[in-house]
Amino acid sequence: MKRVYCIIEKCLSCRSCEIACAVAHSESKALADAVVEHPLPKHRIHVESIGAEETPQTIRSIALQCRHCEDPLCAQACISGGISRNRETGEIINDPDRCVACWSCIMVCPFGVIVRYEDCHRAVKCDHCADRGSPACVESCPTHALLFCEAEEAPIDNLVK
Amino acid sequence: MRIVIIGNSAASTAAIETIRAYDTKSSITQLSRETHPLYSRCLISYYIAGKLDKNGLRYRSPDFHMKMDVKLNLGCFVSEVDPSSHKVKCADGSTYPFDKLLISTGSSAKIPDTIPGGLRGVFVLRTIDDAESIRRRMPQVKSVVILGGGLVGMRAADALSRCGLKVHVIIGSDRILSRMIDYDAAQVVGKRVRENNIEIMTGTDISEVMHKNGEVVGVKTDHSRVLDCEMLIVAKSVKANTELVQNTDIKIRRGIETNASMQTNYENIYAAGDVAETFDLAAEEYTVNALWTCAVQQGRIAGKNMAGKQAQYSGSVSMNSLNFWGIPLTSFGITTPEEETSYTILKENRPERNIYKKIVIGNNRIKGLILVGEAANAGVLFSLIQNKIDVSPFTGELLDDRFNFGKVIQHGGNAVLEKYYRGQST
Repeated sequence: MKRVYCIIEKCLSCRSCEIACAVAHSESKALADAVVEHPLPKHRIHVESIGAEETPQTIRSIALQCRHCEDPLCAQACISGGISRNRETGEIINDPDRCVACWSCIMVCPFGVIVRYEDCHRAVKCDHCADRGSPACVESCPTHALLFCEAEEAPIDNLVK
Repeated sequence: MRIVIIGNSAASTAAIETIRAYDTKSSITQLSRETHPLYSRCLISYYIAGKLDKNGLRYRSPDFHMKMDVKLNLGCFVSEVDPSSHKVKCADGSTYPFDKLLISTGSSAKIPDTIPGGLRGVFVLRTIDDAESIRRRMPQVKSVVILGGGLVGMRAADALSRCGLKVHVIIGSDRILSRMIDYDAAQVVGKRVRENNIEIMTGTDISEVMHKNGEVVGVKTDHSRVLDCEMLIVAKSVKANTELVQNTDIKIRRGIETNASMQTNYENIYAAGDVAETFDLAAEEYTVNALWTCAVQQGRIAGKNMAGKQAQYSGSVSMNSLNFWGIPLTSFGITTPEEETSYTILKENRPERNIYKKIVIGNNRIKGLILVGEAANAGVLFSLIQNKIDVSPFTGELLDDRFNFGKVIQHGGNAVLEKYYRGQST
């Protein structure tokens, strides 16, 4: 299964991915219109600081999103059965029609990548832009810090060096 | 191999899915005392409130048991387990031989002696049948009294107040949800509860149920207050459904005793879910954590071992997540330690913004927490409990609104990062 991988050295913390993600999950699919939508669309990728190296100029950051885990705790905690693995793609899908907004999935996600979408009364997370074909965040990244690839193709050994 | 599973809820469903991931050959027979197909017990209050119909309660697709090749016998009450002859016996006289057995019979509401039996209008809330009975009664109800301010009681209060009923909740302790949260958190949540036509009465109990022609008409509290009501819901506490092994030498304390493989003292008999006693990671003692997520996790471990693979349960942690009229509430582990001196307690209380946070730290590990008003990153903190991470390098940042997984990467380094990249949640 493909996942999104963030190359920390290349992440500028510009949050372009967050904007692209929100737009991709908006009604209008266009930034200029999405910003005035009600409710406002919600991004499912989250740029977080992982601390400065020696000087504040070298703040390191990472864009975090759902890992579609091998052992998805969110699916185990979901009381409605709305979170499950798509047998074909291997992705963890979150059926919006079955979500009862109890936040049990948020309670157990170790990566903190499921968020409340209070306006729509449901929890949301990365779906790899299922209805779009490919993740908008990856396309939007100006430094190509985001990769969408199989684990075998991802330079994980280099990423964690 | 013949596998028999007793029960039809969280633990048994997880066990079935796990067994079938490794073993498609063994026969699985599932026996459920309820007559309804699989549904999510946690959702029945949503059904009472009319937020979900029966279809919305289903926990898996209707063809789940067919796809899993499970023979499901509904309305089948197992009266006895015979560990020596490897058979279970049902109330209707039928018997089922097994090579491996999973007992996941759940728990039931305890009814205090002060509540007389057989009265119309008195209910518990454990099953879809209970929820249906409550719904049928509702047209003739204006006021309802709920005995017990725990999870079930408060969910019932939420649902019934949404239906326009006047709700009184009678609570023995000094606050709502006393097993989940502390006094200050209960004040924040309690304010929102009261705003929704629910009256909370703490430190009191029902001394007498008043009735007329076999119907409940009110209750008297031990403070001599009289409350008229046409419905009484008893949600004080639960007991593990262990009756079927009572006359065997299967060991029982608060629930059926289990080891890390979810085995009872018979190696081919497993127990999981509300009926099972497990090691509590935060309290560091054996107890019953009668919670949905714990039941699923225990069912998975039992299932894997039953399929002949190895899996060990690291233990359960009390964990709850609720949404009270838009106020999220999460709690884990030890939230109100008895001896506060041996713990470091971090607190943030902003009742005007409906925010309350508390983190209980012992021996540099998070032992428990309460988050009111914000659920974000609750799971990040939970993983610190589960993995027994030494939080001393970043204790000062734990309460920060911006505390997130980035901080865990910052302090945990590449090992943490690699688990994240590979999608390893545990």
